[in-house]
Amino acid sequence: MASPGYSSPYGVSSPDGRSSSPIATTPHRGGSPFASASPRRPSRRSASAAPSTPMSTDDTLPPSSSSDAGDDAAFAGDDADPTPVYVWGTSISVQDVNAAILRFLRHFREPDNSASASAAAAAAAAMEEGRYMREVHRIMELEGGESLDVDARHVFDYDPDLYGKMVRYPLEVLAIFDIVLMDLVARIDPLFEKHIQTRIFNLKSSVCMRNLNPSDIEKMVSVKGMIIRCSSIIPEVKEAVFRCLICGYYSEPILVDRGRVSEPTRCGRQECLAMNSMTLVHNRCRFVDKQIVKLQETPDEIPEGGTPHTVSILMHDKLVDAGKPGDRVEITGIYRAMSVRIGPTQRTVKSIFKTYIDCLHLKKTDKSRLHIEDTVECNNNSSSTHKAGDDEMPDYQDKVEKLKELSKLPDIYDRLTGSLAPNIWELDDVKRGLLCQLFGGNALKLPSGASFRGDINILLVGDPGTSKSQLLQYIHKLSPRGIYTSGRGSSAVGLTAYVTKDPETGETVLESGALVLSDRGVCCIDEFDKMSDNARSMLHEVMEQQTVSIAKAGIIASLNARTSVLACANPSESRYNPRLSVIDNIHLPPTLLSRFDLIYLILDKPDEQTDRRLAKHVVSLHFQNPETVVQDVLDLPTLVAYISYARKNIHPQISDEAAEELTRGYVDMRRRGNTPGSRKKVITATARQIESLIRLSEALARMRFSEWVELRDVREAFRLLEVALQQSATDHSTGTIDMDLIMTGISASERMRRENLVAATRNLIMEKMQLGGASAYLRDLLEELKKQSSVEVTQNDLRNALATLMSEGVVVIQGDSVKRI
Amino acid sequence: MVGLAYDFVANPLGAVRLSFEKAVASSPSDADPTVAFRGKDWGAIDLFRDFLFEQGGLSQVPVLDASTHKWIQPNTLVRFRGMVQDMLGNEFYIGACKDGPTWRTNKFRDLSSFPMPPSCETLLWERHLFHCVPVPGQNSWTLESSPSPTARNMSSCLTFQHREKRRRDGDVDAVELDASDGDSSCSKKQKEDVNPAFVSSSSNDWRNHNNVSEPTKGDHAFPENTLSCLVKVYDMPESQFKLNDVIEFIGIYTFDPELVITKDDSDDMMYDFMEDAVAHLPSSKVPRLHCLVCKKLAAQDFPPSSHAVEPLPHVVKSIRESLLGHLTAVLGNDGLAAQFLLLHLLSRVRARVDLITVGKLSLNLTSFTRESVSIFGNELTSAIQNLLPYTQAIPLTVEYLNTATLQPRKDNQTGRLVMGALQLAQGTHLTIDETNMQCGTLNSKGVENASLLKHLMEWQTVEYDFEYYKLEMAADVQLLVLSEGKSNILPADLVLPFRPTTVSAVNAGAEELQSWRWYLATVRSLPSSSEPEISKMLENEMVDAMREDRSLGSTDLNRLLTMAQLTSASFGEKSLSLENGEGVGKA
Repeated sequence: MASPGYSSPYGVSSPDGRSSSPIATTPHRGGSPFASASPRRPSRRSASAAPSTPMSTDDTLPPSSSSDAGDDAAFAGDDADPTPVYVWGTSISVQDVNAAILRFLRHFREPDNSASASAAAAAAAAMEEGRYMREVHRIMELEGGESLDVDARHVFDYDPDLYGKMVRYPLEVLAIFDIVLMDLVARIDPLFEKHIQTRIFNLKSSVCMRNLNPSDIEKMVSVKGMIIRCSSIIPEVKEAVFRCLICGYYSEPILVDRGRVSEPTRCGRQECLAMNSMTLVHNRCRFVDKQIVKLQETPDEIPEGGTPHTVSILMHDKLVDAGKPGDRVEITGIYRAMSVRIGPTQRTVKSIFKTYIDCLHLKKTDKSRLHIEDTVECNNNSSSTHKAGDDEMPDYQDKVEKLKELSKLPDIYDRLTGSLAPNIWELDDVKRGLLCQLFGGNALKLPSGASFRGDINILLVGDPGTSKSQLLQYIHKLSPRGIYTSGRGSSAVGLTAYVTKDPETGETVLESGALVLSDRGVCCIDEFDKMSDNARSMLHEVMEQQTVSIAKAGIIASLNARTSVLACANPSESRYNPRLSVIDNIHLPPTLLSRFDLIYLILDKPDEQTDRRLAKHVVSLHFQNPETVVQDVLDLPTLVAYISYARKNIHPQISDEAAEELTRGYVDMRRRGNTPGSRKKVITATARQIESLIRLSEALARMRFSEWVELRDVREAFRLLEVALQQSATDHSTGTIDMDLIMTGISASERMRRENLVAATRNLIMEKMQLGGASAYLRDLLEELKKQSSVEVTQNDLRNALATLMSEGVVVIQGDSVKRI
Repeated sequence: MVGLAYDFVANPLGAVRLSFEKAVASSPSDADPTVAFRGKDWGAIDLFRDFLFEQGGLSQVPVLDASTHKWIQPNTLVRFRGMVQDMLGNEFYIGACKDGPTWRTNKFRDLSSFPMPPSCETLLWERHLFHCVPVPGQNSWTLESSPSPTARNMSSCLTFQHREKRRRDGDVDAVELDASDGDSSCSKKQKEDVNPAFVSSSSNDWRNHNNVSEPTKGDHAFPENTLSCLVKVYDMPESQFKLNDVIEFIGIYTFDPELVITKDDSDDMMYDFMEDAVAHLPSSKVPRLHCLVCKKLAAQDFPPSSHAVEPLPHVVKSIRESLLGHLTAVLGNDGLAAQFLLLHLLSRVRARVDLITVGKLSLNLTSFTRESVSIFGNELTSAIQNLLPYTQAIPLTVEYLNTATLQPRKDNQTGRLVMGALQLAQGTHLTIDETNMQCGTLNSKGVENASLLKHLMEWQTVEYDFEYYKLEMAADVQLLVLSEGKSNILPADLVLPFRPTTVSAVNAGAEELQSWRWYLATVRSLPSSSEPEISKMLENEMVDAMREDRSLGSTDLNRLLTMAQLTSASFGEKSLSLENGEGVGKA
């Protein structure tokens, strides 16, 4: 034994680290199969004998192909036992596996590397070290890493046979793997004393937790799930040291074999040899950490009407505390079963087995792949930053391919529209707007620090019974991080964030409200009009700055709330009054209203055709197999996948011609206000609209998975905006679009009328009343005005006009009497 | 079969063993016999099926419930009806082991009946664990009286009972306490074996509710005086059962009260950690049932099928009339309310299309006052209790909302699903009495509970709390709300002012009750179909209705159609007939 530092653990027939057993009765990795398997011994001897041969002590020397051959040959020579050694109970030859692993470690190269290397460059490539050799060197240099992560797919690519053996007989193959690895390390640097463990991950197929069955026992499996509970860390004795109570002699460290310490019955010193005198010395024992973790199925794997399954995971050493409750992880490990004793003192075992997974590798996964929280990253180069190897799951790739196929369909836009809430009838333009909201525009952050939001806010106003709430519910279901609240039941703090006292510790805690929780999602607010003004005012910041600021109880914080707001409101008089403006109908402050990119009026117009379709639809809901009703639409999971993929990976940019069109269209919209022949200045579009347009056209490009915003996107964006504006911002008295209606709540024509009235009133007062003379009554003035003017004047209008005059210092109003000054 | 060496009821394991031995013997000697039996039955189930259903053995099998549980012996055949309250995953056990030259099986038992030498050849099989409880709100008329112990095993019963008694000395006073005090619920003692589970005489109504409403104590999160059971199911995919299914199991009952001390070893904390879910249901407290035969139960399985299988139109119509009369009497001669109530009682969730739940019809009877609730409310509740298999009632108050546990919640510490009041079997009727609602402040729990109820009302789904996420479970619960004004907390599909005129004593004969139950269960389960011309007619009807009344939205139309469908179903017709469709607009 050349280096006792690592050869000693082999004395117990299993590699270090995992030789610990979870509990006393547990067979463990390297356990029972080996215990009865004597064949392991010769292989170990041959393996550990190898480092003593002075082959390549120089660790800086890269193993060239010729020396590899020599090594392999040396191994072959070492292993040239007359009888091949088999793993107990199988037809696996230890030597074969040994050689296969060594070949893999030495020669495996990433496929893309070798692909680039042509036959001519093969020699050069061969000079380059294999991936895992580099890895081993790195670990040795760092001295910190104690495990070598081995991608099981690499093993499969290199040697499918080895992969198969590894999955079917992980205990045996991994033990050999570790030995080969140690050997390899020892050759490079005989003084390297740490044990390097092999951690296999990324198996070709992962098992659904509920499909684990007895045939998986002792096999390598990979399961995905969510950690729900972690035990405290359990120190486990690895090497025990005993001291003689009589003479004080310390025994050699005794290795713990399968949870059992073989306590020496007599003192080891020849002079003493006292019986039953040995006692355990705790602080000289070596301990390792151990932890048990409960893993539960993730919601998407639970069949309908079922409850999630759980499985226990046993973690060792470095893996302890690698995952916290709530984490979604992928575990690769060995599925084990252990028998249960009836009582701790009884030897009889129940016929029941408890199962657990001996964890080899833990990988954290973000949610389930397609719901990845993504989304509209502020910098567009995010797509290049995430690891290339991360997304290369074949099933994921398949899905992406399918999505890409979909995106190439010419009618994808219509198809998406049709798939959105297929059971809600009509409202196609509204659905298109909502789709844009789901896809979202690009957020932009300028170097100066100014940022532009990419989220699209939508307000739906409409008559009761026009399935607004259902649309909201649907979006809420669809959006990866949607929050649904009702305006009536939300307070300002409930929406943003609030500070509370933790009942247990008394510390002040910041708790997130709906808007913060729906960061990068859609916050659906039903009954927006019923919300208190106080709560609504909080939305100003959220909807433009996309943050929530808190200054309360010693906590000053600004939280991200990059959320799209989808609100719906009922008209204040329960039914929409077409003779009033939107503002009057919904009683929302114009400042807030202007922050919505799209405002849709969903009116219930009498129309036989729609009625009939609705009726047909309702009838079919009741009488037909629901599956046959909806055709040719994407199902919900596909739609969700499509949207999340687009949000994550597609960051469209505006092409030149699209930019041109945007400018032209915007100018056009502005110009429309200046109709020739009318003096009044009507604002038909504001800077906010052009931002909205950009966002909308970006979202539209995203729907096609296109990296460029094209002309047609811009045109469609204009159309959408116009549809929305026509509904909401049309001045009913002139029929033109008037942004003032939204910005200030008063249309330009209305303002003209008011100005006219003020002028008329002023004239009247100047005419009729003396400076400082007797005062006139309001109703008399009203009479006079009504006689003069052609339009109808109400007392309220008059009061408004007089108030203006009073501020100008023309009159004084006392109660109902007016006095000129 | 002549000369059986075993008795199916008293010694089912004997039957299992013999059939296993026979199967092993008859299989070809070169093949490994046990591999063939893994995940399969070797003929034992057929044997039992034959006994139960062909030879009429079913009637000999005692029903396991809180009252019979005392005298039923372990390792005998029992029947148990329960709702799947929690699924505890699967369990691996040594299915068979080679004891010398012979194979022995452990199937259908907890402990192996023979000592297993540590090095013997064993085979691991799996079985699924379900935690089943008596169906919440199950009414007493659905409980079948079990056959009394036959003379044959009476003697052995007695000795057993005697032993039991001694062991349960502590429980005796719990029984007395329970008998004297109507709503004793605070007795901390384990008394799963006393007190019939659900008593449905009207005087006991509110007590029942108290059981449900009170915050659960201890680690048994279900009403304490009921018998829950850990059912082990073999050779069947787990997906066969869903949460909250009501299932009748026939299987082998085991219960070992002796096995109390399993874990006094404090070192084995890991051991606890691994076992927890089942460890909280120790076999000394919760009996095990090894299922041989099981069957999902629907509402129509409860009334004894004394009537013709095919519902004949004239029979159905006459029963409908009498039931309507009964309901009218119960509702103080309010005929309209009775009509609606009938439709409400017949409703069930027929389909779910995205967000629309088709077929539900919740009813809100308004204009109740304190006095009228005490008269008609109780009358109504007991009438419904007598008609439907599962009923529950919730007295909705601020205090109730703030304290009650409505939401089922997964306790990740124990690995168990903690039952909430809204974990109900499919087809349960839930009466919510809002008349006692006062002004008050809801705390966060209250808000959550209120939204849970609202959600159930609108979408017929209940969110289960799994600590790190919520899972929506489909429900099918008929909701009846009694309130003074229109309930805004719980927006029902139908709101109807209740106008009683007379108070009349209502008495229904057993015969009539039977026929009504049969009627409700049968009509409710009728499939619906529609001819194209009727759909056409309905469409026209709806378009006309919409033209007349602009306020009709799709939800109104949905409701009208549901009502029309139920109306026609109430006459026992499978398809919507024309004249019923005509009534759509008028309703």
